[in-house]
Amino acid sequence: MARMKFICDTERCVACHGCVVACKEGHHIPVGINRRRVIIINEGKPGERSISISCMHCSDPPCMAVCPAGAIYQRDDGIVLVNKDICIGCGYCLMACPFGAPQFPKNSSFGARGVMDKCTFCAGGPAPTFSEKEKRLYGQNRIAEGKVPLCAGMCATKALLAGDADVISKIYAERVARRGNGLKEKIF
Amino acid sequence: MRGSLLGKGLLVFFLLSLGVHYVWAQDILRGFGPESFTDYFRQFSEIIVGDWSNSGRQFLALVPKLKLYFLVVLVGVPGLFFLHYLIIGPKRFSHQGEKILYYGPLARLIHWVAALFFTLLVVTGLTIIFAKTFGGGSLVRISRKIHLLSAFGFGAVVVPMFLMWLRDMLPAPYDLKWFLMFGGYLSRKKQPIPAGKFNAGQKMWFWLASVGGGVMLYTGFYLYLFEAPLKDLRLFVLIHNFLGLAIVALFFTHLYMSLFAVKGAIQSMLSGYKSAEEVSVLHSKYYEKLKQGRS
Repeated sequence: MARMKFICDTERCVACHGCVVACKEGHHIPVGINRRRVIIINEGKPGERSISISCMHCSDPPCMAVCPAGAIYQRDDGIVLVNKDICIGCGYCLMACPFGAPQFPKNSSFGARGVMDKCTFCAGGPAPTFSEKEKRLYGQNRIAEGKVPLCAGMCATKALLAGDADVISKIYAERVARRGNGLKEKIF
Repeated sequence: MRGSLLGKGLLVFFLLSLGVHYVWAQDILRGFGPESFTDYFRQFSEIIVGDWSNSGRQFLALVPKLKLYFLVVLVGVPGLFFLHYLIIGPKRFSHQGEKILYYGPLARLIHWVAALFFTLLVVTGLTIIFAKTFGGGSLVRISRKIHLLSAFGFGAVVVPMFLMWLRDMLPAPYDLKWFLMFGGYLSRKKQPIPAGKFNAGQKMWFWLASVGGGVMLYTGFYLYLFEAPLKDLRLFVLIHNFLGLAIVALFFTHLYMSLFAVKGAIQSMLSGYKSAEEVSVLHSKYYEKLKQGRS
């Protein structure tokens, strides 16, 4: 069985935020929710690097372990999804997540948090595939269409790789081998 | 001649400064060359992961066990009281004869308003903890809203309650004796038990419900707002839940004592009067004080 993964190549990422925009546009995500975000270090200085971060679809998801409602589940291919009909919006998943992936809209009555929203790996949700409900709650289901996630498909420098772990890690390993070992080299 | 001399001079100067240029060039170009990946990823992880490796791990170790702890309290505490009821049995006092005014109308009103909100908080809180059993979804989401609204209600009424009973609830030396004899609940004899207007158990409940309730309100408010660093929110969840565990345990104790352990004890909070016999046994120090005041 394929195991779905994201890899972001920091030597290729140019912080264009194309992945963020593609995700937001493609899934009609409301303002204030960021399923994917770009982190930049040493901005404007020598050694500037950036990385695109979203849900990492962990093999042993901490969010799933702490969810009191049992709303988070993992598919056989490793994609971690949330059932928005069951989620109660308590926020424990955000506290358990090392990557800050779970997002909460603040549009419910009394200003309380709504249900959790996060990266679906463009695999929709528990609602029937290609249904109106799936599209409204979770966004597109590109995995069922046989396409890569929007963010990886959009990435101009192909820094963001998404797909079967074996395949994309091989691509990344080849790139690193061609680039050199990444150690400091003498110039003169 | 002069031109060639200048040229030679420049050449010598250039050769002499070569070492300095080499160092400068290395310094400037270093930033653009490939650096060690580990350095970058250390910087990335500081921003992305943050304090997770400390507080997140602790959170992850404790939160999945909460359901079990609550189950133990939910089954264990009433279970113990059931055994107590079967083996030792309730205390009965004559409700005829002399009556002593124990709670004024205002005290009773404050108590019952606080009790209403408190019960709602306990019930909805337990619904959230056992969300999976209830199937999650809108039922638990509505519980969360009721939990929030009752917290505001309780917050408004806990302050007058605290001030109203504070003087009677201050610890006294005979409270230690009360704890050593378990408040006399382990024997059937009607011996005078050392307690003032409130016994040490009631005092414990008072402090947990008022000061502990204040802590619950504070942590709960931030869990509702979500506007604190994640590190603090993790701590607040743990405090809120473990304090909740203690509060649920004493909530059941309070219910058992008022409804079953002392027959008719709830009447004093409804009518305001306790029988003199009950006061003389369960609140002997207070009874002595009352008698001295009268004579």
